[in-house]
Amino acid sequence: MSASQSAVRSRAEAVQVSRTLDWMILFTLFTAVLGGYHIHYMLTGGDWDFWSDWKDRRLWVTVAPIVSITFPAAVQAMLWYRYRLPFGAIVCILALMLGEWINRYLNFWGWTYFPVNFCFPSNLIPGAILLDVVLMLSSSFVLTAVIGGMAWGLVFYPGNWPIIAPLHVPVEYNGMMFTLADLQGYHYVRTGTPEYIRMVEKGTLRTFGKDVAPVSAFFSAFVSIIIYFLWHYFGRWFNKTDFISGEGI
Amino acid sequence: MAATTDSVKADASEAPLLNKVNLWAGLMLYLVFYSFIRWYEGVYGWSAGLDSFAPEFETYWMNMLYIELVLEVVIASTLWGYIWKTRDRKVMSITPREELRRHFTHWTWLVMYGWAIYWGASYFTEQDGTWHQTIVRDTDFTPSHIIEFYLSYPIYIITGVSAFLYAKTRLPAYQEGLSLMYMVSVIGPFMILPNVGLNEWGHTFWFMEELFVAPLHYGFVFFGWAALAIMGVVNIEVAALTKLLKKDLA
Repeated sequence: MSASQSAVRSRAEAVQVSRTLDWMILFTLFTAVLGGYHIHYMLTGGDWDFWSDWKDRRLWVTVAPIVSITFPAAVQAMLWYRYRLPFGAIVCILALMLGEWINRYLNFWGWTYFPVNFCFPSNLIPGAILLDVVLMLSSSFVLTAVIGGMAWGLVFYPGNWPIIAPLHVPVEYNGMMFTLADLQGYHYVRTGTPEYIRMVEKGTLRTFGKDVAPVSAFFSAFVSIIIYFLWHYFGRWFNKTDFISGEGI
Repeated sequence: MAATTDSVKADASEAPLLNKVNLWAGLMLYLVFYSFIRWYEGVYGWSAGLDSFAPEFETYWMNMLYIELVLEVVIASTLWGYIWKTRDRKVMSITPREELRRHFTHWTWLVMYGWAIYWGASYFTEQDGTWHQTIVRDTDFTPSHIIEFYLSYPIYIITGVSAFLYAKTRLPAYQEGLSLMYMVSVIGPFMILPNVGLNEWGHTFWFMEELFVAPLHYGFVFFGWAALAIMGVVNIEVAALTKLLKKDLA
């Protein structure tokens, strides 16, 4: 084949073109996933993620892993199964957490003046590392769903414990005992503050004392496995390269 | 240029494969513009955006809404019309190098689309949560909504449709028909804008300040999933670029 039929002039140029395109693809994938994942997460688990007084031992632990395993499963279906890149989950989580941290600083604090130690995002990085490592070692989405999905749910609370523990210290205030996080919420009144709208530790499981978080984490892990399967297949669908006829559209 | 050298310097007379000036100018344009918008929100949200019945609300916020809506219609029709009007009618007979150059231009559009999606779906959407957890709304057109729904969403829609039109009118890889995932990745996020109708209807029907995880918001969630269709677009692009580069990279 003559040089005029080639898109590049040399191997070095081909390498440079390939590397440049890698960065452009990664940037686009990162920002598009960030937008889609962030809007999904903020509107399915957002309130638990926004405020420390929502970060309880029961519903936060249950909801956050279930709704957050979605995009990592779908992006793994692309990056691992098509390109053997073992960082689908961590790309998603880094994107999501970057978007969240920018927002909490510049808007939650910068525009509406909530202190950052009241509106910091949940930490999802330990679960993402486990999910990627299980997929890389097993090369099986079934094992990743069962073992990785289980780990995703179980590791969420321990992964956040060093951050949330100081805010779960009990305090007495005007004759009432609640947590320091609740006291923060009491002082930083929001339009969604009233108890009828706040979904925190409902039911009788709280009376079991120490078992609340592990039981919630285990239930969350179980549902995370199912959601992983579902979103793996969503991811496969979104990977299609089909064309359809323009007629009739 | 001698074929035996490994230099990647382009011929002086030839346009570069990637126009880096355009790429960086586009990224900076959105960054500077949205930084200005964020400054405007910070100043006039508090000083003129709390009471929609006040005259200053009309001055600083409703006028902004009217101006941005007119500009968006003008820019969208001009840009989309230009891309369509200047389409290549012999797209299947371009040289491989010209095809590669157009892929780079296409990727500049896609980078801008991702960047615009970030600002719309992430930055200004979560920002809306904290504004409405702080200020009880007395109108559908709050300062946060005027920026989020009627500025940042139309901007990513205009950018995404432009990228789609560019690919359809200039790249051989998209001449088989209509790429299903490309349409999902553009039309899905677009549908978030009409879904604002449901959102506003619900917010005026049920008083619900401001539970972000309320089922009323699930329409946004569903259409946000469509951003994942960018994976299908990437796969089409990788296949096309592999065809163009494979023998040179071997």
